Amino acid sequence: MRPWLILGALVAASPTPAQWLNYPAAGIPRLPNGKPNLAAPAPRTNDGKPDLSGVWDVLHNRPCPPEGCADMWIPQEFLDIGWGLKGGLPYQPWAAETVKKRMAENRLSDPNWKCLPTGIVRMYTTPLYRKIIQTSGLVLILNEREAMYRQIFTDGRPLPEDPQPSWTGYSTGKWQGDTLVVQTSGFRDGIWLDANGSPLTESANITERLRRVNFGTLEIEITVNDPKAYTRPWTVKLTQLLKPDTDLLDYYCIENEKDGPHLSGN
Amino acid sequence: MLLAAVPASAQWFKLATPETPRLPDGRPNLSAPAPRGPNGKPILDGIWQMNGKYLQNIAADMKPGEVPYQPWAQKLFEDRQGGRLGWTDPAARCIPGMPKLDALPYPFKIIESPGMVMMLFEGFTTFRQIFTDGRELPKDPNPAWFGYSVGKWESDDFVVDTIGIRQETWLDNAGRPHSDALHLRERFQRHDFGHMDILLTIDDPKTYTKPWTVKEDVRLIPDTELLEYVCTENNKDYEHLVK
Repeated sequence: MRPWLILGALVAASPTPAQWLNYPAAGIPRLPNGKPNLAAPAPRTNDGKPDLSGVWDVLHNRPCPPEGCADMWIPQEFLDIGWGLKGGLPYQPWAAETVKKRMAENRLSDPNWKCLPTGIVRMYTTPLYRKIIQTSGLVLILNEREAMYRQIFTDGRPLPEDPQPSWTGYSTGKWQGDTLVVQTSGFRDGIWLDANGSPLTESANITERLRRVNFGTLEIEITVNDPKAYTRPWTVKLTQLLKPDTDLLDYYCIENEKDGPHLSGN
Repeated sequence: MLLAAVPASAQWFKLATPETPRLPDGRPNLSAPAPRGPNGKPILDGIWQMNGKYLQNIAADMKPGEVPYQPWAQKLFEDRQGGRLGWTDPAARCIPGMPKLDALPYPFKIIESPGMVMMLFEGFTTFRQIFTDGRELPKDPNPAWFGYSVGKWESDDFVVDTIGIRQETWLDNAGRPHSDALHLRERFQRHDFGHMDILLTIDDPKTYTKPWTVKEDVRLIPDTELLEYVCTENNKDYEHLVK
């Protein structure tokens, strides 16, 4: 089966684009013709830190199939989070076997098909929007997919010592210069980092470095430290693009997920 | 069925927050005055939990016969009794929706930021955005599970208007219906540090002969944080519901 057909399940529940979300927002720098000036400098909050707030989309770095781009136009990293790494991800032997098996099984055990949470890495590569809201002591990520949120505490609290394992983990962030450095631990087993099935175990911790390089561009450097699954920590860089003058729509995987039962083993 | 996926309660969120007023013995003083922002209005921020009875029965405090059903709505409500048709409730498939979302018996967090009030719910790990930047309600909203909400202050009340709610959602587990004409109005009244009421008005002339209002009580849960709740992780009831 061609990968974009397999990925059709993600497309199934795509909502019809609505017209009422074209809402020109205040505070967006504009060109003389009224279009947003995405190359303008990153905005800043009252305390002088860069403001990461905005609606963000993936960088579409994967060529479309001959019949045209799907509604859900996935980026390379959706399939293989280590796509940009020379030699690929440094899997432990069992992890390499697991990925091979998951791909041979046509990704049948992908938590995505069961409409389970994506986890924090795959959330960034899912071709639906994310909205970041930066407030005092908290950076929130509101996700279009499943309308789920993630909290990053920036009020100085420590990471809990024995967090309850979860899909999203527990995240704290602090500023280093103009970069928000986010530490996350407390993951549960069974999270996939990409559609190939690259695993994440409960021993993992993840560091994200978020930097808004200009008004329209957010760079996210992700370092995965999971000695159970990988022979060494590895780092990938994702780019997100601002979608100005819009907002999130409803997207529920569970609402229209019909592909799972029809996926065959091959 | 909403209870199916309750996560085991974890002990690791015990976080003394500096903004909590305290009694001499260090316990939170839940009767202290409500905090106020620079605009003089009560600040709604905090982690709250609603009286669980309204999820089961939104009219729990009303007398029999007080809900002003249109005939078809009365019949549908009766047809839904005894768990019949429970499978047609989107919540049974892990799709949360308004207004049941507010009434979930799990904590929710209110966060005010410029132009917006956010509600983060432990139940379903989902959120509502309430726009406070002065925008109007859309004329022809795309139907959505939470609808489209705008909020404004009226004296000390935070008043939220919501339209565009998908008509499949139920008002409560008892099965009270609504139509696409539903206009919800919530009036958040924070009385003191630890207590808030939400006056919820159901204005849906297709389903009810006149608007009706219920008062739901909410209490603050100090010194804690939300946990992750994944309905799809453990939803075993749906397959067993009689269809």
